[in-house]
Amino acid sequence: MLYITYNTASAFICFLMALVFLFNDKDAAWRLMILFLLASLATEVLGIFMRHAVHSNLGVYNIYVVIECGFTSFFFYHLYGNYSGKLKWLLAWLAFFLVMYIAELLYNNFADFVFISATIMSVVFVLASLLYYFLKMQDDHFEPLLSSGPFWWVSGALFFYFGSTACNLFFDYLKDHDTAIYSRSVRYVVFVALNIVLYTCWSYSFICRYRQQRSSSY
Amino acid sequence: MQVSTTEIVFLLGLGSLIFLIAPLFLVMYVLLYNRNKKKHAEEKMAMQVSYETELLKTQMEVQEQTFKTIAYNLHDNIGQLLSLMTITLSSVNVNDTARTAEKIATVEDLTKRSMKEVKALSRLLQGDELLGKGLTTAIEAELDFLQRSDRYKISFTRFADIVFDDSSKAIIVFRLFQEIVNNIIQHARATEIFVTLEQVSGMYKIIMRDNGIGFNVDEKISSKTGMGLLNITKRAALIKGTAYISSIPDQGTVIILNIPIAQ
Repeated sequence: MLYITYNTASAFICFLMALVFLFNDKDAAWRLMILFLLASLATEVLGIFMRHAVHSNLGVYNIYVVIECGFTSFFFYHLYGNYSGKLKWLLAWLAFFLVMYIAELLYNNFADFVFISATIMSVVFVLASLLYYFLKMQDDHFEPLLSSGPFWWVSGALFFYFGSTACNLFFDYLKDHDTAIYSRSVRYVVFVALNIVLYTCWSYSFICRYRQQRSSSY
Repeated sequence: MQVSTTEIVFLLGLGSLIFLIAPLFLVMYVLLYNRNKKKHAEEKMAMQVSYETELLKTQMEVQEQTFKTIAYNLHDNIGQLLSLMTITLSSVNVNDTARTAEKIATVEDLTKRSMKEVKALSRLLQGDELLGKGLTTAIEAELDFLQRSDRYKISFTRFADIVFDDSSKAIIVFRLFQEIVNNIIQHARATEIFVTLEQVSGMYKIIMRDNGIGFNVDEKISSKTGMGLLNITKRAALIKGTAYISSIPDQGTVIILNIPIAQ
């Protein structure tokens, strides 16, 4: 029961949805989503294990930030594909992130969460989501967004990364004065809510993607 | 200052809620915008379909008009010439050499005139090809044919050549021209027709004037018989142009078509 939390449960359901609906997807980027969700789920489980075993799971989450940044950036780049997304921008961003990430790790002596890198990453993903919306609105070609997989994937990312801004802004304070609420920290409760929103949007986007693939194959 | 637990929970909860509501509104806005885009796309599609239907109708009307003119000409012109030839030939008396030579000369003249008429008809029959050579050429050919009837004195002034990149636009303008000419023939009782082609600040201007009996424009448009005039205005609007109609009873009518050059 230790490993069954809101976060692991929602991540597991989303992973199952990805497995069912994206396994036979024609697009490798969407299929890669299954592995990414598996990594997310493994991180959550490992995080719980590490917290109980060695009383710190910072290392696990610090590694996960790199995977998260790499995959999410790549996926955004993939979604921009139709609008001539440039590879050099993706590579420049990833290089910048890595330099910043390593510098922060060294600055913290590997003893703290890479808060600044994660916050900047969130801001970049919020901007990337807004850019996607902008491109969609500019596009003369009409696409039913209510049933568009990419649109709901981006919306999930926007809800998560924009919604976590309040927690990121209060991060330093919460780190020192985290307040107990319902036997959990405030930050934890907010992130549970954000994870549920994120995984719901993404699960729906997988269903949309599956239906889109099926209808186009007829 | 000590911040209480409840205050932190409240602040963070409120902050997170606001940061969640903001993208929610954004998503709703994008969806709404997209719905309007769909509506706009549907309207555009409907307009395109209506334009294509109108274009097809116009093409058929141009053909119909050509066939009517041919039928009229065959009956009234070539038919008359052939009848005259038959009568002349049947009255030939081979014993009267002098009169026979005169009659044969008349028949020869009638044959030449018939051939000219057939040539003019065949030129008219190639209306589509004429349009391919340019709208000005097609208009000129139509007026040329009208002049042959000797019913009208025609003045054609060309200050500019009308050239459209879009051939469908040329067909619609040509049909507008035909419709106006038809109205003059059928209703105006005119003896003179003036046609001027101009180019004024990004627009082609076709001015058509007659010295016929004229009519009351407002009265005509509001009556059932004014459908033709409404049709002219509607067709001009279809290609983003305008049709200005002015008429004074017993003094004649002026119709000015303004058609934008650009798509």
